[in-house]
Amino acid sequence: MKAVSGASDLQQLRVKYLGRKGLITSCLKALPAVAPELRPAYGRDVNEIKEYISGVLDAKEELLKKEEHRRRIQAESVDITLPGKFVPFGRKHPVTAVLSEVTGIFVSMGFEVEEGPEVELDYYNFEALNMPKDHPARDMQDTFYVTDDVLLRTHTSPVQIRVMENRKPPLKIVAPGKVYRCDADISHTPMFHQVEGFMVDTDISFSDLKGVLETFIHNFFRSDIPVRFRPSFFPFTEPSAEVDIGCFACTGKGCRVCKNTGWLEILGAGMIHPRVFEMVGYDPETVSGFAFGMGVERLTMLKYSIDDIRLFFENDLRFLRQF
Amino acid sequence: MRIPCAWLNELIDVPVPPAELAERLTMTGFEIEGIEAVNGDTVLEVNVTPNRPDCLSVLGIAREVSAAFNVPLKLPQCDITGEQPSSGFTIHIFTPELCSRYCGRYIKGVRTSASPEWIKQRLEQCGIRSINNIVDITNYVLLEFGHPLHAFDAGTLRREKVIIGPPDVITEGKSSVRIKTLDGIERAVPDESLLIWDSERPVAVAGVMGGASTEVTGATKDIFLESAYFNPVSIRRTSRRMNLVSESSYRFERGTDIEFLEKALDRAALLIQQIAGGTVHRLIDAYPLKYMPQSVTVNYGKMNRILGVSLAVSEILEILNRLGIRTEDKGETAVVYPPPFRRDIRSDIDVAEEIARLHGFDRVPVSIPRGPLLAGSINSKVLNRKLVHEAMRKTGFNEAINFSFMNMSSLDMLSIPDNDRRRKAVIIRNPLRQEDSCLRTTLIPALIEDFRYNLDRGMKEIRIFEIARVFGNCGKQLPDERLMLGGIWYHEKSPSLWKEDAPGFFVAKGALDSLFDTLNIRNCSFLPASEPFLHAGNAADISVSGSRIGYIGVLGPDIIGKLGLKKQKPEIVVFEIDLEAVFRHIPDSVKYVQIPKFPYVERDIALVTDETIPSADILAIIRTYPSGIIEDINVFDSYKGPGIPAGKKSLAFSITYRSADRTLTDDEVSSVHDSLVSYVMEKTGGELRK
Repeated sequence: MKAVSGASDLQQLRVKYLGRKGLITSCLKALPAVAPELRPAYGRDVNEIKEYISGVLDAKEELLKKEEHRRRIQAESVDITLPGKFVPFGRKHPVTAVLSEVTGIFVSMGFEVEEGPEVELDYYNFEALNMPKDHPARDMQDTFYVTDDVLLRTHTSPVQIRVMENRKPPLKIVAPGKVYRCDADISHTPMFHQVEGFMVDTDISFSDLKGVLETFIHNFFRSDIPVRFRPSFFPFTEPSAEVDIGCFACTGKGCRVCKNTGWLEILGAGMIHPRVFEMVGYDPETVSGFAFGMGVERLTMLKYSIDDIRLFFENDLRFLRQF
Repeated sequence: MRIPCAWLNELIDVPVPPAELAERLTMTGFEIEGIEAVNGDTVLEVNVTPNRPDCLSVLGIAREVSAAFNVPLKLPQCDITGEQPSSGFTIHIFTPELCSRYCGRYIKGVRTSASPEWIKQRLEQCGIRSINNIVDITNYVLLEFGHPLHAFDAGTLRREKVIIGPPDVITEGKSSVRIKTLDGIERAVPDESLLIWDSERPVAVAGVMGGASTEVTGATKDIFLESAYFNPVSIRRTSRRMNLVSESSYRFERGTDIEFLEKALDRAALLIQQIAGGTVHRLIDAYPLKYMPQSVTVNYGKMNRILGVSLAVSEILEILNRLGIRTEDKGETAVVYPPPFRRDIRSDIDVAEEIARLHGFDRVPVSIPRGPLLAGSINSKVLNRKLVHEAMRKTGFNEAINFSFMNMSSLDMLSIPDNDRRRKAVIIRNPLRQEDSCLRTTLIPALIEDFRYNLDRGMKEIRIFEIARVFGNCGKQLPDERLMLGGIWYHEKSPSLWKEDAPGFFVAKGALDSLFDTLNIRNCSFLPASEPFLHAGNAADISVSGSRIGYIGVLGPDIIGKLGLKKQKPEIVVFEIDLEAVFRHIPDSVKYVQIPKFPYVERDIALVTDETIPSADILAIIRTYPSGIIEDINVFDSYKGPGIPAGKKSLAFSITYRSADRTLTDDEVSSVHDSLVSYVMEKTGGELRK
């Protein structure tokens, strides 16, 4: 048995002892020649031997099979620490990611998504939003002009007008998109993204505005983040508010991120101005509503602690692949 | 606006320390952007919104503090008492709609010199340069009361006349008018711009800047002090057209207090008398268009409803009174009279804002709007864009966002011909840089820049896509805005552990194949390319149901040459797809097709054909073969080289046969397959590969 090294050796042995002309078989065949009184003992002995040999051979066979399997596995083994054939998925631009997150939260609150043109009429961008030609509030937004009456929209608010001109309340709309201002430095780029939203119905109040925006903020940031509304000015809303959240870098103690105020400004909002309703042919005595707008880059910067807005538009893959 | 706290305390006893004051002002609508310690005092940087010009002064902020804390104001002494001689000055307003009030005082015998330290220091705290005592006092009062004043050297005003009118009225349009302003620049004056004149010439650009010829200097003995009300729109236009902005124009264009301007004049006259001496003469007051107090009727119920609060009438009235707004309670409503400095309060909503502001936004409860339950929804364009976005990312492309601007010369770089529609760009009149003066008509130039940026930083795998609008000047008022998908693919060949993939063109094409598959668009074809910047032999126009929706291809060697890259023969693939055209081909709905019940049989054909015959043509021939049992065809080999004659190629197809209602027999399939093979050979002139 010791000399057996493979299946064929084993087969030879099996034939030699247990084959039709094998040693054991011939012993059994010799049974008639044995004296009748010795036959039972003889038979028992031969069978015992046969079983023994068969057992030894089977055990060996099993062993050989295992050995064979082991060898095959070993031969086919790879270095599992080598890297996989990695085909990475592409990444979402962080601004797009935040834009769809913001839009998604409002959609979950029953808002519809609408879009408008990026090259817009002065009428929709300013006039219909209660900013006539010589209004000082126009200074708040440095505008790229194409002609006297055509410009690159400075905010997504013209979508309000376009939607209200074509539809009747109740309306719950959110309008994401690109906007443009002629301004460029560490915190301003000539193009950026805004999400505008508004709601118009027969009995919408400033406290509803607070409710909807707080719900949004608590969904987008953390459910326990402090929120404050403070008075501000936009020509197309009144009362107007800036909405701040407690600075999460310093939890309100005051730091560089919040310029020591403990608060971060994240959006502008207000009750839609009656004159805006008049411009679109709504009766301000029977409808009311609120509108809000937020800069997506700013939200993104806060979310990921990005300190330079220009990174968003350099499209460095080492930046893009982090999100 | 910078407000020194010590100065503020002169006008009101601020009941809280500066930090607390800053907090309270911020919460009433005057955001404090900075608190600074200057010379032992605290200076607040207040952000005053454009609707509140009345707060562009220490007094304005003091009024807000008064309303917020219910503490009375302390106005400084302004009344001029005693004998005042009359002067020979006369005021002539030609255009009352542009200047509805003009007051002046002649002050004789002043000593111009440097200002006392306390004045200098306060001007400096507010960011204004000290000039001399007279000019400094006008600026001091500007900061204190918010009303701009101007001092003329009275000796230079010819015939003691002050005339107010624009050039076209005064000169009757006869001559173009120029004036040298205090900053030493000689300026042309637009026709409608309001000027101040003496009997012969213009002496100041009204409300914007004085003229050099009548400037108060060290030699000035007598002055004429002006305090007027100018039409905000007129001042704004003049300031814009002359490209001249000053502390005065900033306030006048936002609106000043026509009733209070006399107080400002007297305050300045008193200070001049006190500091520079001289005799203050009698007030001259031309007031052709009298201020008419405006009233607004407000409904208490509506105020509460719109704000979502429940304030008692007394609370509402108390808030308004604290703001200096006189009120008459009429039961359900009140008639309120905003003071002249609050011209921003014109309707009930303006009053609502005042109530909310002073009551405190933080005290307005939070509620959720009640109304019909509306389902939120995303329109199909936005949804489809999401699908495209996802498909691109799954094929390894990273999303970029570029500015919408384009340099026209980048089209030259791409050899785009002059008559191409992409040359019809929207031009921005006031671009930040000349290179950014157009809106892009194609996404490719920016993507090439993104590629180059990343290549320069050693990136070996560059796969970038962008979804953005391009803008075509179509001759209408607003351009045609079209949503496009653009992409660029680059892979640096380098030794790698695992086997390399297909050529770049086919990798990128495969990405688009997955995109069309995701969108359930099955009928798109790739035709010979028409784009001048692509490698003619490695590029394709893409069409769906016969209309062109975009292109894909290897960037042409000439274009790559122009890019001046360090890499040798880089393989760069670009594509651009008109998504709006693509979206039109997305089927409205998907219908389930029964899964086949019977087994399939697969047979191959290996053909040697002319190398110019596109594989797609042969596929089309097979697909249209009328057998009824061809289920699917795949190209599994395409080969040129040894063993195949020159000018020929070998193409191998595997064909899946299946019947919907029975198990096909071998004989049946063989007979169809054999006749198909003969059919294809006949149609293509090809032969079976041996």
